[in-house]
Amino acid sequence: MRAKLEVLNKKELDTIYGTALDILAKIGVSIEDGELVKLLKDNGCSVSEDNIVYFPESLIERCLKSTPNRKRTTRLCGRDPGNDMLIQNGQEYPYAISHVLMNYYDAMSSTYRGLTKEDIRRFVTLSDHLSSIDGIWMCTLMPEFDKMYTYCEYELAVRSTTKPVCVSSFEPGAIPPTYELAAALAGGEDELKKRPLTVAFCEISPLTWNIYGCNMLKATALWGIQPVITVETPMGDTGPATFAGNIAQKIAELLSGLVIVQLLKEGLSVFFVVPLEVFDMRTAQICLASRGDFVWACAVGQLEDYLGIPIISPISPDSKLLDMQEAYELSFSLLTRMLGGNKATVIHGLDQTHAINNELLLLMDEMLISARRILQGIDVNAETLAFDVLADVASKIENKRRSGHFLNQKHTLKWYTKEHLPRRDALIDKYSREKWIEKGSKSFIQRANEKVEEILKSHAPEPIPQEIEKKIREIHQKYRIPDLV
Amino acid sequence: MTKLEYAENWGTLMEKYITEVYKAVMSYDTEAVKSKVTEALDGGADPLRIMNEGLSRAIVEIGDLFGREEIFLVELMIAAEACMGGMEIAKKKLLEKKIPIAKPKGVIVIGTVKGDIHNIGKDIVKTLLETSGFEVHDLGVDQPAENFVNKAIEVDARLVASSALLTTTVSNQKEIEEKLKASGIRGRVKTIIGGAATTAEWSKEIGADFYAATATDGVTLIKRYFENTT
Repeated sequence: MRAKLEVLNKKELDTIYGTALDILAKIGVSIEDGELVKLLKDNGCSVSEDNIVYFPESLIERCLKSTPNRKRTTRLCGRDPGNDMLIQNGQEYPYAISHVLMNYYDAMSSTYRGLTKEDIRRFVTLSDHLSSIDGIWMCTLMPEFDKMYTYCEYELAVRSTTKPVCVSSFEPGAIPPTYELAAALAGGEDELKKRPLTVAFCEISPLTWNIYGCNMLKATALWGIQPVITVETPMGDTGPATFAGNIAQKIAELLSGLVIVQLLKEGLSVFFVVPLEVFDMRTAQICLASRGDFVWACAVGQLEDYLGIPIISPISPDSKLLDMQEAYELSFSLLTRMLGGNKATVIHGLDQTHAINNELLLLMDEMLISARRILQGIDVNAETLAFDVLADVASKIENKRRSGHFLNQKHTLKWYTKEHLPRRDALIDKYSREKWIEKGSKSFIQRANEKVEEILKSHAPEPIPQEIEKKIREIHQKYRIPDLV
Repeated sequence: MTKLEYAENWGTLMEKYITEVYKAVMSYDTEAVKSKVTEALDGGADPLRIMNEGLSRAIVEIGDLFGREEIFLVELMIAAEACMGGMEIAKKKLLEKKIPIAKPKGVIVIGTVKGDIHNIGKDIVKTLLETSGFEVHDLGVDQPAENFVNKAIEVDARLVASSALLTTTVSNQKEIEEKLKASGIRGRVKTIIGGAATTAEWSKEIGADFYAATATDGVTLIKRYFENTT
């Protein structure tokens, strides 16, 4: 990754981080769990009568040091170890994770509906097929799964992909069956420690770990699951409207979670998911793909490097249609993150994290390939400077005019694909208007829809091995979960 | 190897020569095409079979791959040039052996109109037609209308193809139509126009027979026309 946008200098980063430490030491974090308050107090925190916990800098430094993936490698895992995402310095390109959400937008009829299990199968199968998608994140909260949604989503996802699957959960009760299936897929509990299950949950801003968040912190520590601490501080709502202050608050909230995780289970890997929402004062809505998000996106890569902990940054268009607004929000959100050096993004579909769409996955695929190509930069060497080939082309003269071109040059054959990453099955239309009409005058969505069906007909994810199917039946029986397929 | 063994193995050897030439074109390896054709002919291979079953078969497949958008234009162009290089060597051998060369599929005059010096689209059409067995007379660029007409009369062409990329030069395509009519050969010569400044409407307005939006469309139209008339 060569191209990089930097919006904060070292002094500014130090100042923001120093403010975050001040927030933790002087403003403190509300912790709604007596056991965790005692744990923090026993480790040097002071506590007010209202269970506001004040974190000393020394404890934060100690816990950062005991976080094993800090400045090293963070691993997101799925069924096939060969597909694991290794988030680290020097990775070839920023990872992209597709996100399964609670509704499906049918682009052909322009209608929304509640997500079905078949929608999950199709969306995850597509994600499994697309080489630009590195993993899948699940958060459908489908009512039919009730409190076992974390497990159900996990099982449905791993059935359709061998890529890493992460889940979100607010229900500690669904952790045990999810853990058991993950252990079976990893080849046992010892293997699962090396290639852990990843579960995300959320702190509540401003500066509060409510009882649900506390329960999830304890559950992940108990099961040795890799926790993903998520903080949401909508600008002007539960966080300052200014970027510097909002980022400092985010860091404080994230570090409070990291400290609790390390005190509960020292040596547990942890990473962060951090959206930047802006409270839209015109509509009284929390918006995710606004100008504020684009600015934050430029800074997020610098912050994860500064902290040494990955910050997965969500891309969440607010548009309700696959229209120009969607394309604007998606492209600005994606490109700013990639140029800002963010190592991994999770891409929501549309409608403010409420819906997914298959055709959109194919647009993301095109955008990801372009964005990653930008990051590769420009190679300058004797071969790419092409002096000799230019001399050869220019030497062709007919009727006292230069008549050569590069279309028949081996140099073009070699470098056209390397430099431009063209796709033989490209969905982006580059035909003449006449040719486009001849091919049916189709919109991008129509072409993408045809491609989606073609992929789903031809791509079959690796089936779940028989011994895992047996384990799944045992889990269903043990936890009274109905069959999902 | 005895003469008998050589004779017995000849069929296999011939197949090997043809396959190697075919593979060299399919690999876009210009130098290998030349060396494999030379090696085959030096080994006594039939130049007509090398041309038809090695070179032409490969370029037809390459053309189909391009038509299905499975390869890029640069691959098609390099394969076509590689094929042409091999054809030249095989044709020389045919002349040496006084074996008649197959009649071209059609005789075509091509050029870029007066005032316009763009040649790439025209060159693509020319290369692809030549590798498909057409006799193409390329006038070059910046050519006045009378040159198209005179050349068509001289070589007894059945099709005149003109390219115009500038809106200021498209009127010269109309002039070609008028001069072809005036010369009395328009009835037996079809016309096709192309280039960035042209449209289907313009083609209709000036009375051209065909309009090609792209170079490869032009090749398809020309091939189709000659297939239907011979």
